[in-house]
Amino acid sequence: MALLKVENLSIGYRTAGGMLKAVDGVNLSLEEGRSLGLVGESGCGKTTIGMALMGLLPPNGSITGGRIVLDGVEISALDEEELRKVRWSQVAMIFQAAMNALNPVIRVSAQMTEAIRTHRPDMDEQAIMQRVEGLFNLVGLPLERLHDFPHQYSGGMKQRAIIAMALALNPKLIIADEPTTALDVIVQDQILKETKVLQEQFDIGIIFISHDISIVAEVCHDIGVMYAGQLVEAGPAQEVFFNSKHPYTRALVGSFPTLAGPKSKLTPIPGEPPNLIGAIPGCRFCDRCPKDTASCKLEPPKWQEINERHWVLCDHC
Amino acid sequence: MSVQQATLQSLKAGRRALWRQRLAENWRVFRGNLLGKIGLSLLVMFGLMAGLSYIPPLIDPMYHPMTGVDPLVVKSTGPSLTHWLGTDFMGRDILSQLLAGARVAFMVGVSAAFMSVVLGTAVGMTAGYLGKTTDTLLMRLADMIMVLPTLLVVLMLAALFGQLSIWMIVLMIALFRWPGVSRVIRAQTLSLKQRPFIDAARVAGASHTRIIFRHIMPNVLPLAFLYMTFRVTSAIVIEAGLAFLGFGDPGTVSWGMMLQWVWKTGHMFTAPYWLLPPGICISLITLSFYMLGRAMDEVLDPRLRDETQAG
Amino acid sequence: MRKYIAKRLAQVVVILFFILTVLFVLFRLAPGDPVSRMVDPEMTPEDAQHLIEQLGLDEPIWKQYLIYLKNFASGEFGYSIHYGEPVARVIWDKLPNTILLFTTAVLLSAMVGISWGKIAAWKKGKGADIGMTIAALVTHTLFLPWLALLLVWVFAYQLDWFPITGMVSEEVFLDPDAGFWAKAVDVGYHMVLPLATLFLIHFGSYLLVMRSSMLETLKEDYIVLARAKGLSDRAIRNKHAAPNAWLPVVTSVGLSLAFSINGGALTETVFSWPGIGRELVFAVSQNDYPLAQASFLLIATVVLFSNVVVDVLYAFLDPRIRY
Ligand SMILES: Nc1ncnc2c1ncn2[C@@H]1O[C@H](COP(=O)(O)OP(=O)(O)O)[C@@H](O)[C@H]1O
Ligand SMILES: [Mg+2]
Repeated sequence: MALLKVENLSIGYRTAGGMLKAVDGVNLSLEEGRSLGLVGESGCGKTTIGMALMGLLPPNGSITGGRIVLDGVEISALDEEELRKVRWSQVAMIFQAAMNALNPVIRVSAQMTEAIRTHRPDMDEQAIMQRVEGLFNLVGLPLERLHDFPHQYSGGMKQRAIIAMALALNPKLIIADEPTTALDVIVQDQILKETKVLQEQFDIGIIFISHDISIVAEVCHDIGVMYAGQLVEAGPAQEVFFNSKHPYTRALVGSFPTLAGPKSKLTPIPGEPPNLIGAIPGCRFCDRCPKDTASCKLEPPKWQEINERHWVLCDHC
Repeated sequence: MSVQQATLQSLKAGRRALWRQRLAENWRVFRGNLLGKIGLSLLVMFGLMAGLSYIPPLIDPMYHPMTGVDPLVVKSTGPSLTHWLGTDFMGRDILSQLLAGARVAFMVGVSAAFMSVVLGTAVGMTAGYLGKTTDTLLMRLADMIMVLPTLLVVLMLAALFGQLSIWMIVLMIALFRWPGVSRVIRAQTLSLKQRPFIDAARVAGASHTRIIFRHIMPNVLPLAFLYMTFRVTSAIVIEAGLAFLGFGDPGTVSWGMMLQWVWKTGHMFTAPYWLLPPGICISLITLSFYMLGRAMDEVLDPRLRDETQAG
Repeated sequence: MRKYIAKRLAQVVVILFFILTVLFVLFRLAPGDPVSRMVDPEMTPEDAQHLIEQLGLDEPIWKQYLIYLKNFASGEFGYSIHYGEPVARVIWDKLPNTILLFTTAVLLSAMVGISWGKIAAWKKGKGADIGMTIAALVTHTLFLPWLALLLVWVFAYQLDWFPITGMVSEEVFLDPDAGFWAKAVDVGYHMVLPLATLFLIHFGSYLLVMRSSMLETLKEDYIVLARAKGLSDRAIRNKHAAPNAWLPVVTSVGLSLAFSINGGALTETVFSWPGIGRELVFAVSQNDYPLAQASFLLIATVVLFSNVVVDVLYAFLDPRIRY
């Protein structure tokens, strides 16, 4: 059985202009100990999916269709109290803006212990402290900095502290939302590698969210490419990266230099994604698509099988 | 007309259209703001009161707020047909005084606020634009003045110079209420200074005065305007407090003055018709300027606006 | 930290020095003859001569300035014309009364404003929030002396629950058997209405600042992380959000101290609370310049010191600030 199954998930935000369909009919599946990368431009709904997996949509957001099943439990049907128990013990999250994810007026140690204390009332203070120290060693943070305040940490240290925090309760799933975006390239690289090692060591499932497909291709087993709230291409990482089918994926691959390779010239994708308020009849990418045909605008595209595990949402690929 | 002139003209027209569009947009947001609407309607009401204040003395000299005395009345009396809100201890009409008070409140509030905002904007722009020692000196001065209790400072000046006229009071309030404005304007100027168009203007050979007046001032004015509404409130309250304590201009009838008369003549427990109206008016006018300020804050600061939209 | 406090205190001294100098200059510019304004006309000529020498009024102007500074530094504020005794003696025993009323009022309204503002933000848009926000808006724009008169009218005159004015009852304070607690209770009883006045005027602004600061804080990433950790609402609100939201409120308390002391003086005057604010008002109305000057300086000192206290508190609450 898969660790995580997301079936036909749709999420909307109530806005002044009407219902904004941030996620529209997304299907995902993740096996235990494997990693899935979600990529796409900013605003395509990646964070929204991540938040929904934790039951943390903002007050104006709600799941309008489909379901999320984690380890046999339907997350999307739990009430707030049950969700609170699932959070962090089953699903942990590493945040997009790691720089601001630590509370500036609370010592790092206290922020680490409170997560454990909340979910494991059976553990005594000494055991909790031991656990925290173990985690600090694990992510390579010096123990003498444990009781510092967050502002005394560098960006990389903060991100490590958050990774340690995420591992605290041995969750089955970690959602990493742009975990390294705010860091400089060298630290970014280090943290990615270490995260990958930790993930394999503890057999955790990871959903890795990024706007940079080259990073995702390096660390993840599978990739799902999102555009305007929909999944448009999904498959094994190497396959999606080197044998991209969807014109949007190709554009993404072309618009980033690889971490390892030489800095090739970036080709930004011209145009902008469509407005997500209101209905969009045809393919969402057609305005920016080189293969655009008359029928694309009218008919929604259908999923095409490239091979058994590689699929693409395009009628002309 | 040369091509160049034509482009310049259309550019200017475009800019004007943009301004108009921005104004219309701001007005739309403002109209959607309940606080702003209530505040504005109340202010219109007070404006009407101020306008109407000229009428009673024309009807009968006994309705003059300061010097008119009803010859038939020798003590404070309650509401009647001739005196809708009653009379004070010497037979003067309370309603006329209340209307005159609205006029004084606007006069004091708006002129003191205007002066302090002009001063604060000038100091803030100078400090922010020139920087260095000028900045340090001006801001130290601002810090110093900011922590002083203005009402008591003006009181102290009354101790030094004796009875202050209403215009002296206005001037004093303005002189001691600018630091808050100047800090905000300075911060805004500092951030504007970093923008490319200022550099561009400088490279193009614009003088400092020109840069300040042409490029910086138009951008800080909305903020200054916002601060003016808050300053109006504090000026009205300070004048009222001063008048209440007995140091107002004896030649003007302000609401604070009316309260001072109620209190000093010992009528506060027996003449609610006299005690209530001026207090309600001061409190309400304060509230309405405050609400107007909050609403404008929301109009000018899109961050605050989003919050109401998302919820 | 100690260095920071020392630095702030030094600043207070500099500002006081500045105020003293400005007052000195203005006093010489003001109409009227300095000697007659400083010296009680009813004094015996010898006493008057003695006072003139002590104040240095017969010396050249620069020397007068030095003597003036020296007198203030050593707590010699001159001679009150109205009371006919040294100003220092008049105002020193008024100082604790002002500090008692002022600090209690500021602390109480800040505490209540902060805790209610926190709840209002948490329940944003619900009945409790709307009710509290409206109450805060209305009370903190009320005109203070008017509110004071209304409270006296209703609770002291009509209902007769509290005394109309004053700080102590004679029966209690003249009674040789009355112990400390009896006296404290008596003062507390007299303090209810003045305190209520100041509280009603002030808590609203703290509530509104706390509410908007809390709303900003609740949008921060660390709050989302706290939620993701599965913490209870209570822990998120009180441990993660509130301590961050306090910071702007503390700043605003500091900025509003001057405003609060204005209100303090008005309150003291209406309730005949024997404090320095009332003394200043009285002195100005009696043309007692030496008394007015000293009261004003003492009030300024109180405000400046409270500001230092607030700044130190801020530094204490925000670990990012280390001096
Ligand atoms: N709280 C919200 N209210 C309204 N719209 C939102 C909210 N959060 C996100 N959105 C909208 O939903 C879409 C998806 O956002 P998001 O999930 O943050 O994208 P990504 O993480 O891929 O950048 C965007 O169009 C965004 O503007
Ligand atoms: Mg995102």
